[in-house]
Amino acid sequence: MPKCIIDGREVEFTPGQNLIDVAKSAGIEIPFFCYHPGLSVVAQCRMCAVEIEKFPKLQTACSTPATEGMVVKTQSDKVKQNQKSVMEFLLINHPLDCPVCDKSGECDLQDQSYGYGSAYMRTSEERRTYVDLDMGPVIQKNMNRCIHCTRCIRFGDEVAGIREMVAIQRGNNTEITTIDGKQLQTEYAGNYADICPTGSLTLKDFRFKKRAWFLKKTPTICEGCSRGCSLELQHEANVIYRCIARENKEVNKHWICDEGRFNYHYVQESDRITEPAVKQGTALQMSAWKQAVLSAREAVAGKKVAVLVGSDLTQEEAAMVQQFAKSKLASAPVFHFGTPGVESAKDDDAADSLLKRKSKTANLHGMEKLGIAPFTAMPSGVHAAIVFRGGRAQLPTLAVSTRIGVGVFKRSESLEFEAVLPGTAFAEKDGTIVNFMGMEQRLKRAIAAPRECKSLSEILMMWTNL
Amino acid sequence: MAESTQMFKPHFTEEARGLAYYLGKMNGYAALKKALAMTPEAIIDEMKKSNMRGRGGAGFPTGVKWGFIPKQSPKPKYLVCNADESEPGTFKDRDIMRYTPHLLIEGMLIGGHAIGAATGYIYIRGEYVREAKLLNEAIDEAYAKGYLGKNILGTGFNFDLTVHRGAGAYICGEETALLNSLEGKRGEPRVKPPFPAQSGAFAGPTIVNNVETLAAVPMIINNGGEWFAKLGRLEKSGGTRLISVSGHVKKPGVYELDAGSVTIRELIYNVCGGILGDKKLKAVIPGGSSAPVLSADEIDVIYDIEPLMKIGSMMGSAALMVVSEDYCVVRLLKRITKFYAHESCGQCTPCREGCKWMEDILHRLEDGHGREQDLALLLDIADNINGKTLCALGDAAAGPVSSFVKKFRADFEAHIRGGKCPNA
Repeated sequence: MPKCIIDGREVEFTPGQNLIDVAKSAGIEIPFFCYHPGLSVVAQCRMCAVEIEKFPKLQTACSTPATEGMVVKTQSDKVKQNQKSVMEFLLINHPLDCPVCDKSGECDLQDQSYGYGSAYMRTSEERRTYVDLDMGPVIQKNMNRCIHCTRCIRFGDEVAGIREMVAIQRGNNTEITTIDGKQLQTEYAGNYADICPTGSLTLKDFRFKKRAWFLKKTPTICEGCSRGCSLELQHEANVIYRCIARENKEVNKHWICDEGRFNYHYVQESDRITEPAVKQGTALQMSAWKQAVLSAREAVAGKKVAVLVGSDLTQEEAAMVQQFAKSKLASAPVFHFGTPGVESAKDDDAADSLLKRKSKTANLHGMEKLGIAPFTAMPSGVHAAIVFRGGRAQLPTLAVSTRIGVGVFKRSESLEFEAVLPGTAFAEKDGTIVNFMGMEQRLKRAIAAPRECKSLSEILMMWTNL
Repeated sequence: MAESTQMFKPHFTEEARGLAYYLGKMNGYAALKKALAMTPEAIIDEMKKSNMRGRGGAGFPTGVKWGFIPKQSPKPKYLVCNADESEPGTFKDRDIMRYTPHLLIEGMLIGGHAIGAATGYIYIRGEYVREAKLLNEAIDEAYAKGYLGKNILGTGFNFDLTVHRGAGAYICGEETALLNSLEGKRGEPRVKPPFPAQSGAFAGPTIVNNVETLAAVPMIINNGGEWFAKLGRLEKSGGTRLISVSGHVKKPGVYELDAGSVTIRELIYNVCGGILGDKKLKAVIPGGSSAPVLSADEIDVIYDIEPLMKIGSMMGSAALMVVSEDYCVVRLLKRITKFYAHESCGQCTPCREGCKWMEDILHRLEDGHGREQDLALLLDIADNINGKTLCALGDAAAGPVSSFVKKFRADFEAHIRGGKCPNA
């Protein structure tokens, strides 16, 4: 591999790599704002300028590929002076409203002020201000905080495939906004907030909910479709506040869709059944675990049973259900369900040109791996169905007289059920899911299951041993 | 001061405009015939020998620039004429386009042949409404006579030429911003590399040349590169220069002088008749408003690229602005800085934020609300912009600020201490 010299250290690089990435691989940080590994290079913020031997002027590290024998200095007086000056320039018009800014604590501008800026302000001129238009339900805009890095413009144009963010006006009055002030159209709008290096574009959903530094972060996988994008669930005191994309070069690069980003909300919705429930009269009533399990068992006793597993279950859970059906339900047939019209891997195509897949559950491909057949219609002679669900699989029509639910159900969709034994959603358990590429990925437990919800293994244990 | 060769100036008359005059009195399109019989390499060689240095402002050797065009390219090549002429104080290209448009057309044809381009664009500043119309008329004439279009002069050489009008942004005189604007995009400079010679208009190899540069090409081909080089009195700078003189002189206007044949003092006092009202000279801006200012005791410098560079200023677009003792230099600098702040495209941090900051400070200062520390701050901001921006506009804004504050510090201090302009 070719080598260059950064701050006196020999560093290997792959031809084509820029100096920011090469330096990073050697543990040397070159600060930047406008550069983003998933977007084109514009060299606008000038923060990453470094000194390169034989070049009279500072060169931007983002736009300079490393070459064999290149000698780079990232710590020289000239470089440091430039960083200090760029920080000063960026702050003369920034409102410095960090105390009430949602980005505070995870803000590139704030962090780099701390690292490279000055504690003193030399400007006394009036700050530039803008009037902001509503950008739709996902993004809250605050143009006063913007540092004109244009990441958002490039994201729309190059990744989301829609040119909706633009720069209007010119020079010091440049405003980053949507074309004609329209609301954002893309179904990937949340990424605007992820990539914004300041609090200029933030998530409405997260607005004033939690200071970023209180959030605990759990890396996990999205259960929104069969792609299985890498996510980070951010939570505190057992409440999820936000979900952001995690970099995964093979699956989702740096991005996630809004559906996946906001999917977690159902986990903590008030309509979710979080206590064992048994039908009494016409309505489901809260009950104790023992009574609920006994009622459920009694309801299906002596009946011919079919077992339905949502393709939102993990491999471990689905295998457990298979075994349970075989040994405890007299080899009742097991079917998977999830997305109407997407019964098998063959039906699971790309749903758009970026990330989304047609299967709206994460583990359709895992179900096939386990040899579970898709649910099409209730086999004749079956009078009872036990439905296992992770929370996202869409319930099929159940043409039976007795229905038992195990897992995550809403009250509104369980009116016809004899009993519901509340289980865990994707954020509350560990497990394996298989995406459409056949990649096995791990769900990680971010929060504890609410109230009386129990893991599937516990519920099946009770069913078997009570 | 010897007589200068007059290639352009005598033809800057209304009668010169048509093709008939061009063919009859200016040996029109003879150079094209000669050039089409030459190989592209031979033309580029001739350009190199001529010591023609780009007349737009940077002074880059034109032959060398043409040599950067790759011989083989999967994409079409383009020749673009930069007729944006927006550096304040510059108005020489206007005369070429107004009076001798065929010189430019013929120059572009030869350039197109030299670099292997079949398409040319003249990107003209939006304010030049009349010149755009005249150019289009001349282009129509050339098409009608077969100097433009397919199979030109029966040689198989094709060349199409289109006039594209800008929308009034100074930054579109920067060649990559010009190309963006030409492509219908926002007029913002591009990151370099790649340079236009590798990837320019529509991602094809592109050469961008100034109007005067291209208009001189027929004369270089007719008379030879060496003839042109010898017109210049100094090494490495050939030909004549069209100089736009403005400000407080008795005879402002466009002058044509052999490159390096006069000092600034001779130019002001002998050529332009001295200072208006016989006042004392205060300052000279030698190369368009972005050139660092010269004080009255620096004007014995030869008016050419290298001598001006040596004393820390620049020849730029050869636009000399003369300022007499009556005019407030603080006000002048504020106006210049306001221009660059207004024309900054807003892409890169130092220029977007710094130019406006300097303007704000100067505004205060001129109004008498300056503070002692403002001068050091101005110098520091200019330093932080200079050489650190995406394109040269930052340097263009920083140069005047540093030079004015350093050379006329007493005037600035008088504003600060007196709380108002001493001349007011």
